[in-house]
Amino acid sequence: MSIQIIINGLAVGSVYALIATGFSLIFNILKFSNFSHGALMTLSAFIGYFFAVKTGSSLIPVIIVSMLAGGLVAYIGEFVAFRKITLRSTSPVYYFVSSITLGTLYEGIVTIWVGPNFYNYPRFFQSMVVNIGGFVISKPDLIMFISSCLALALLVIFIQKTRLGRALRSVSFDRDTAGLMGINVFGIIQLAFFISGALAGLSGVFLGINYTLYPQLGNLVVKGFIASVIGGLGSIFGAVVGAILLGLTETLLINFVGSGYAPVFSFLIMLAFLLIRPQGIAGSNVQEKA
Amino acid sequence: MLEVRNVSKSFGGVKAIQDVSLTAKKGDIIGIIGPNGAGKTTLFNVISGIYTADKGSVILDGKDITKMEQYMITREGIGRTFQNIRLFRGLTVLENVMCAFDPLSRYSIIDGLLPTPRRLAEEKRGREICEHYLEVVGMLKYKNERPENLPYGLQRKLEIARALTCQPKVLLLDEPAAGLNPTEVMELTELISRLCEEIGFAILLIEHRLELVMGISHKIHVLNFGKPIAEGTPEEIKENPDVIKAYLGEEEAKC
Amino acid sequence: MQFYISILTFTLISVIAVTGIYVLTGLTGMFSLGQAAFMAIGAYVSGFLVVKAGVPFVLAAIIAVVISVIVGYIVGLPTVRLRRDYISLVTLGFGEAITALLNQTQSITGGALGFSGIPKITTLPLALISAIVCIVLVSYLKNSKYGRQCIAARSDELAAKAMGINVPRIKMTAFLIAVAVTSYAGVLYAFFTTYVDPGIFGWKKSAEWVIMVFFGGVNSLTGSIFGTIILTALPEVLRFAADYRTVFYAVLVLLIINFKPTGLFGEYELSVGNLLRRLSGKKEERSNA
Repeated sequence: MSIQIIINGLAVGSVYALIATGFSLIFNILKFSNFSHGALMTLSAFIGYFFAVKTGSSLIPVIIVSMLAGGLVAYIGEFVAFRKITLRSTSPVYYFVSSITLGTLYEGIVTIWVGPNFYNYPRFFQSMVVNIGGFVISKPDLIMFISSCLALALLVIFIQKTRLGRALRSVSFDRDTAGLMGINVFGIIQLAFFISGALAGLSGVFLGINYTLYPQLGNLVVKGFIASVIGGLGSIFGAVVGAILLGLTETLLINFVGSGYAPVFSFLIMLAFLLIRPQGIAGSNVQEKA
Repeated sequence: MLEVRNVSKSFGGVKAIQDVSLTAKKGDIIGIIGPNGAGKTTLFNVISGIYTADKGSVILDGKDITKMEQYMITREGIGRTFQNIRLFRGLTVLENVMCAFDPLSRYSIIDGLLPTPRRLAEEKRGREICEHYLEVVGMLKYKNERPENLPYGLQRKLEIARALTCQPKVLLLDEPAAGLNPTEVMELTELISRLCEEIGFAILLIEHRLELVMGISHKIHVLNFGKPIAEGTPEEIKENPDVIKAYLGEEEAKC
Repeated sequence: MQFYISILTFTLISVIAVTGIYVLTGLTGMFSLGQAAFMAIGAYVSGFLVVKAGVPFVLAAIIAVVISVIVGYIVGLPTVRLRRDYISLVTLGFGEAITALLNQTQSITGGALGFSGIPKITTLPLALISAIVCIVLVSYLKNSKYGRQCIAARSDELAAKAMGINVPRIKMTAFLIAVAVTSYAGVLYAFFTTYVDPGIFGWKKSAEWVIMVFFGGVNSLTGSIFGTIILTALPEVLRFAADYRTVFYAVLVLLIINFKPTGLFGEYELSVGNLLRRLSGKKEERSNA
């Protein structure tokens, strides 16, 4: 019984990790919290859904479509909502409003498009469980966990080992100097948004499978945020660790008290962390920019 | 009055300042010079509480302020200006200065919401004090302007007026002459000496404009790569070979 | 006629909530996505006290606001020392937690089905007087040392601390004022609609208010209020479908952010002084940032 819980916790945690990572990318590169991330997840998940329904595809093409859709929408969103602010270097306060507004826009579009109903992804798997070494594991959980690990591993390799990844890191560290070194700063920013959007699409599909698909699915982005806070804002490593911890703890508590109280627990865990170790697991900077 | 004892501060592996000590008495003007990156602003940041020293201590009038919160250190009597001007946008010149008076202002939140006599009296008192300091730096007529509309030289003066309103025992001036033309530098020099005489606090001055620092300081400390390399009167410093080497390089020192 | 009174009352309640948000976001630069949750606390606590415990309205309202402020203090305590992002994330998490709590505690709050049977006590005069009082109090606050310190903390926290301003304390003060005002708005709301459910108090509502404030001009109390009035009353009068209205707002605000980020009103404040100056043609001394 408890192995089941751990596995479920890990699977859920891995999706939270995807969310938190997508969020961290933008936080690192433009130094603000992108509140449109959740709604973007929902939008790309729905695009994937309708693709699945129209073409009857299996899981992998749906994932690809969602990721591409997410990346594309994020790319456009950056231009519409954030470009002028980055260019003008006006107060970063405007990023907040812009991202909230963009998120509201995405969610509004989804609501108009699909109405307030609940949707279910078509059955991608013939059997819903898998037997590994005597343990019965749900297939969706396994796929989620493996895909998330894969996606995160690819991302880490990209950031650490490729030239573009290096460029990404330099722009995150010091935008002006990176520009002076000949890096196409805005191109990198667009790339970051695209990747973030793709991750949003991936997490959206998994959340849709795990829960159901509805316009307010984006609210689950809060888990990603909480994971980031626990892990240390801006640290991708911290986000992943925080997400796994959150997933495990949540699943454990849900097992005893029921899923309805999950947001309450997540919030209290976050509050506790902020009181004890505000810089999170990875130890990020918590003070206002000096 | 102010004693800085063997203060060190590192960031990660970088030793920003190491083993720096200085003292300042009432009426002293202490200059702090050194090449860029020598750790001068870091020293100010440690004294004013933005950073906490890793080693060593900062004592003000016998009280150890090393580990105090930044705003408490200000209230104990350390005022400062900033190298890259940090004025408050969204407030007028007078309001900027009043921000320094506000922590000392004696009315409560209830008075904040309503026009009570106590509030009106305290606001008036605050305005008078702030206008006085604006006048001291010669900026009274700009009191209703927006700081971002003012020329650079006036913004610097505003920073000084604001710092004065904190009623400091020690005033830290971080490159107050940067960006000023020679006339303005002369005005500033005259202002600083006048303030020191009239108000009688200690001034610590970081400056690259050597004519200002040398002309006005009673004593000068020289930092290089975070370490103190010399201290003495302006005349002594001018002749000191280590200082010349630090600024101009080995060859010049041999001349 | 009833219809217009209803719109007007809703608008006034929104205005009350927005004065609180102006103090928090406009003056102090903090973004809370959980203000609607405090409205919910105000609504549910006062509703519960009156309906289930027979407490008189005024006392219930006071207790509700006090409880909201205490909760706000707990939420704010670890957060005001940290950078701005944290208050947004924490209040977002808080909002979700409150919604979940309200949905789960069916026996007390009626859960997702909502809480009904609240007597209708909020009248247009009450809403109007409350709104006027809030606006006046916040105006005075803006011109006091509290207002100045909030703006200083928003503009440059480091410099503010260097001037002796206790920045975490002033942030907490602003936060608690916003919480108090918003929860009062919640009380009025509950006793006007006579029914509340957790769905109306989500982060979207908080986001909507932030949008309204920025639409009118975040630096100006006048702008924030006018923005709220326009964006609350207008669609009701024009009978926009709710979903389209949201998209409409969002597009509008994105346009404003791109082209006039300081909002419709910029930094302009309506005051007798300003009006007289305008009328007599004298050049206004304040300039837009």
